[in-house]
Amino acid sequence: MSSDLFTIGSSGLRAARAALDVTAQNISNASTEGYVRRSLRLGEVASAGGYARVGDISLSGVRVDGLVRNADLFRQAEVRRTGADATRAQTELTAMENIEAGVEQANIFPAMSTFETSLSQLSSDPTNASLRAAVLENARTLTKTFNIAAQSVDTVGTGLTFDATNGTAQVNLLATELGRVNLQMTRTAAGTSDQVKLLDQRDTLLQQISQYADVSTSVAADQTVEVRLGGSSGPQLVTGGTVNSLTMTSAADGTISFTLDGSAVALSGGSLAGQAQGLVAVRDTHANLDTIADALVLAANTAQIGGVALDGTAGQPLFSGSGASGIALALTSGSQIATAPAGAGASSRDAANLEALRTALSSSDISGQIDGLLFGVSSAVAGRKTTSEALATIASSAKLSLDQQAGVDLDQEAVNLVRYQQAFQACGKAIQVASDMFDTLLSLK
Amino acid sequence: MTSVSTSAFYERSSIDMASLRSRAESLQAEMGSGQRLTRGSDDPVAASRLRALARSESFNAIDATTTARATTDLTLTDSALSTFASYITRAQELATQAANGTLTSSQQHSIGVELGQLQKELVSLANSRDSMGHALFGGETAGDAYTFDAAGTATYAGTANATELPLGDGQTVTSGLTGPEFLNFTAGGSSTNLMAVIKGLSDALQGGSSDPAQSARDALGALDTGLETVTTAQTVVGARLNWIDLVSERRTAQSELRAQEQSDIGGTDIGATVSQLQQTLTVLEASQASFTKLAGLTLFSMLR
Repeated sequence: MSSDLFTIGSSGLRAARAALDVTAQNISNASTEGYVRRSLRLGEVASAGGYARVGDISLSGVRVDGLVRNADLFRQAEVRRTGADATRAQTELTAMENIEAGVEQANIFPAMSTFETSLSQLSSDPTNASLRAAVLENARTLTKTFNIAAQSVDTVGTGLTFDATNGTAQVNLLATELGRVNLQMTRTAAGTSDQVKLLDQRDTLLQQISQYADVSTSVAADQTVEVRLGGSSGPQLVTGGTVNSLTMTSAADGTISFTLDGSAVALSGGSLAGQAQGLVAVRDTHANLDTIADALVLAANTAQIGGVALDGTAGQPLFSGSGASGIALALTSGSQIATAPAGAGASSRDAANLEALRTALSSSDISGQIDGLLFGVSSAVAGRKTTSEALATIASSAKLSLDQQAGVDLDQEAVNLVRYQQAFQACGKAIQVASDMFDTLLSLK
Repeated sequence: MTSVSTSAFYERSSIDMASLRSRAESLQAEMGSGQRLTRGSDDPVAASRLRALARSESFNAIDATTTARATTDLTLTDSALSTFASYITRAQELATQAANGTLTSSQQHSIGVELGQLQKELVSLANSRDSMGHALFGGETAGDAYTFDAAGTATYAGTANATELPLGDGQTVTSGLTGPEFLNFTAGGSSTNLMAVIKGLSDALQGGSSDPAQSARDALGALDTGLETVTTAQTVVGARLNWIDLVSERRTAQSELRAQEQSDIGGTDIGATVSQLQQTLTVLEASQASFTKLAGLTLFSMLR
């Protein structure tokens, strides 16, 4: 009988020890990324009455049932979903901001204004050599600013493609890891610390993948997870131990697309989606710059060819090349600027053709187009900033709510330490009582 | 049960304090630069307006230079016209002397020589240069306004119209006069010019005419018309200078308006920004203090 009490007491001691271990584990992992607070599930050990022992009292103490992981699947899925949205918005915003900086800091608009004002100044004295030189140099500056803007936009594109390539490789790496975790998961028993650790790994990996692409997951009974990309009906990335490879394809215009397991996948979240959207913006901005540069070349060259230079020869094109990256100054001397109309002699002070050039520039509204481009880019950034801030707030509150539920509260752990320490001492007392009882029996005279 | 996990507490505090800090820094940047907008996306519409204003301002600067040039040229024209008028007066004096029948032929001859000299001076005055070194009375010609032919007669070599200078906002001013505009006139039913009249009189007095005194009396009438033409031209120049003043005043007023709008749209409201910064800093200090207090509140420090 007192051996029962011994057993019960020692089972309690073991349970309290295990609970103290779990508490210490929680405290030491309070700031570990992806660690979910564990608690111990205890079960009573009591045998059911058998044949002819119906009224018996049969108590055998406590046993450790298993480790419980306080994770909420819904909140975890929310963290992944909102996190993917926020990352996509943030990546796109960064790309747009870089485009904005590139186009704005190239100073195309001031350069265009300076070019036009120097033309206006030249019209007051068309044969003045220094004013002609100023026009030529301002035209050169203008072509350079177009070159710089196109180059900065292209650099943004290169960076995005590089990041997207890296992101695709990371997704494949993480998916392989997840496949391995899935395989191990099938070989572990529920409630063991092995499985709890694998679950932590599984959730961490899922969260990492969701930074790159929007994942939809479904968890099987054996805790293995099936991952699809691009919505719940998209192609499978991981199922059980099978991992499909995500590949990225760059089109000729610089935009990217993804295929998974042989079928095209449209990503709507994660940094990869943001980079794809950023590359579309890069392509559009570059095309817009090209259109404006071509309009400038056409307007200036048409007017220039219609007049005669200072020495009375026919005007030559002002700009050469096409597109924002190709535009360059074709003239080598200020005297080649055709200010006089066709038929005028050498050193003519007739500025009719210069007027035609200025009219051509203002009627094709080059500076208006540049302003429109800058306005478009900056208002796109402003709009996306608002979206991104909203999504970031949503994501951080989802993360906070998961942290509150799954994270470690040190105060609570402190309480648990005291509680299980007392439980341990109480079980020790039970054993002491059993020993005293045994002594009492032995000392019966 | 909802527990407040330790990591959630630290994360939330750090997010809050970081956002306050970045707000304070952006306010500080606004004050430091004096500009409300650091990049276009801060306010796309205002940025576009600022671009347009800066563009008008740079055109405005060029217009101001051109206007100054037009003023200089017209002032030069004006003073040249005054000199012309005094030359004509001198010619009138000489013609009046010559018209007196009591003069000997040698005296008339010497008056004729002086008038011949006067004609050369008139031509060189008509060939004076403007502020950019071009012929002041030659229209848009590259060379001189008047040239002498073999007989010593001055002929106009310039273009028909004087240079028009833009004053901005589509306004222009003709920044000078061509020679024929104030030197040509009709005398005695035929078209002539001042130089030809004086040259004719000079030739007549030096033996070209059988009755020099009558020629001088004829020339007096022509010189009167010539003086009148020059005076009229001077009035035109004065009117143009007034027009430039008017346009300049308008441009200055517009420039002030633009500067005002620029500072309204893009400038920092120092008072408001300082008080916002102060508010942000107060909140930041309070949340830092409360964070330190809360972070020190752990049960472990109570357990002995």
